[in-house]
Amino acid sequence: MPVVLQNIFRFIILVLAQVLVLNNIQFLGYINPYLYILFILALPVQMPRWMTLLLAFALGLTIDIFSNTGGMHASASVLVAFSRNGIIKLFTSIEEGNNPTPSFYTFGVSAYVKYVVSLVFIHHTTLFILEAFSFANFWITFAKIILSSLVTVLMILGIQSLSKK
Amino acid sequence: MKNLINFLINYSVLFLFLFLEIISFTLIVKNQDYQKNIFLTSSNSMVAGMYEWSNSVVEFFKLRSANDNLSEENTALKNQIIKLQNQISTLKPETIDSVHFRIPPEMEYQFIAAKVINCSTNKLLNYITLNKGARDGICPDMGVISDEGVVGIVKTVNSKNSVVIPILNPKLEISCKFKRSNYSGGLRWESGEDYRYANLTDIARHVEISLGDTLVTSGFTSNFPAGIPVGNIEDFKIKESDAYYKIKVKLSVNFRTLSHVKVINSLNYKEQKDLEKKSEEPQ
Repeated sequence: MPVVLQNIFRFIILVLAQVLVLNNIQFLGYINPYLYILFILALPVQMPRWMTLLLAFALGLTIDIFSNTGGMHASASVLVAFSRNGIIKLFTSIEEGNNPTPSFYTFGVSAYVKYVVSLVFIHHTTLFILEAFSFANFWITFAKIILSSLVTVLMILGIQSLSKK
Repeated sequence: MKNLINFLINYSVLFLFLFLEIISFTLIVKNQDYQKNIFLTSSNSMVAGMYEWSNSVVEFFKLRSANDNLSEENTALKNQIIKLQNQISTLKPETIDSVHFRIPPEMEYQFIAAKVINCSTNKLLNYITLNKGARDGICPDMGVISDEGVVGIVKTVNSKNSVVIPILNPKLEISCKFKRSNYSGGLRWESGEDYRYANLTDIARHVEISLGDTLVTSGFTSNFPAGIPVGNIEDFKIKESDAYYKIKVKLSVNFRTLSHVKVINSLNYKEQKDLEKKSEEPQ
């Protein structure tokens, strides 16, 4: 039960932080971090996949409603939730019986960094390409993807390194 | 049959994934048609309520500069009143016997004050949400200005809120002219550009312009009266082979600190539109 409560709490806090604070950030015109996907990254490893997908969809749609973006965030979040298991398998060797929450302690530092970087990159690429919906402004989109991913990754790693155990 | 069911169970996650992605894409595509899904946007009353609450906190920090602006505007308006009163007193005897049935041209416009409760400046397509809607007399296509200058045009309205397309959205082009020379052109913002600047097109090379020239609305579109400030020329380029200038305009409105705006209710808007439509029809 505590895990469920913890996740509900995290959902609310991350959505509020994203909508009220982070969406107003415009650093150099390119950097707009999307911290909210930390919620998907921090779901327990063995959680049923259909449930991760549905949670990701709900999360994305909530952000969409607040930022008038149709289904862009929903689409990107669902893609992240879908590719999550493959990436966990790729970088870590979690035994069958265990059900850890992804973090530095359970994955090891290098595996966890790789995990965060690849998922954040998938998410931001999808999101910014959907936002542009064309390759006309390709270099602007590309710069946005790289710089925003960098900031989001740093924020996620920072937050994770603060939490104990 | 059994095979089919097994197949569906084995790939259920994949199907769920595809299903959710299809829903998302439908929403994205529908969102292009902005009017239709007001339900899933920030003019939804619950979301708007939350933004209003958040804005009430942020606005507190802007009170000082807002006050300064208001008092400045107040004095300007008072001066204008005095000037107008003087004019009226000199004109009075002449207007006694004339009867007016129409709205006189100088009273064509009314202003509806509204507050900005959500405003984005860093997206490729930006929108602004206002705290007033159809209930307060706002209709789609009305112009929106602030004390500093032109903001945008109302796009969607529900009973309590409305969504504005600001200059910071490539879907909007505003017709404006130089205050000095009266040459007019279209002002448009490019996606991903800095929120302080926009581009002016259609100014031919024989026009004399210089840095810092003031741009005002031309009054050709019925949304805005003529003479509302839009911006100043920040930079301009012209190549030997070009027929038109490339002009970078510094917008007079700072969209990052936008908090109070006025919606322009043009009383003759409908009549003007009808007349223009009629003249376009084949005789």
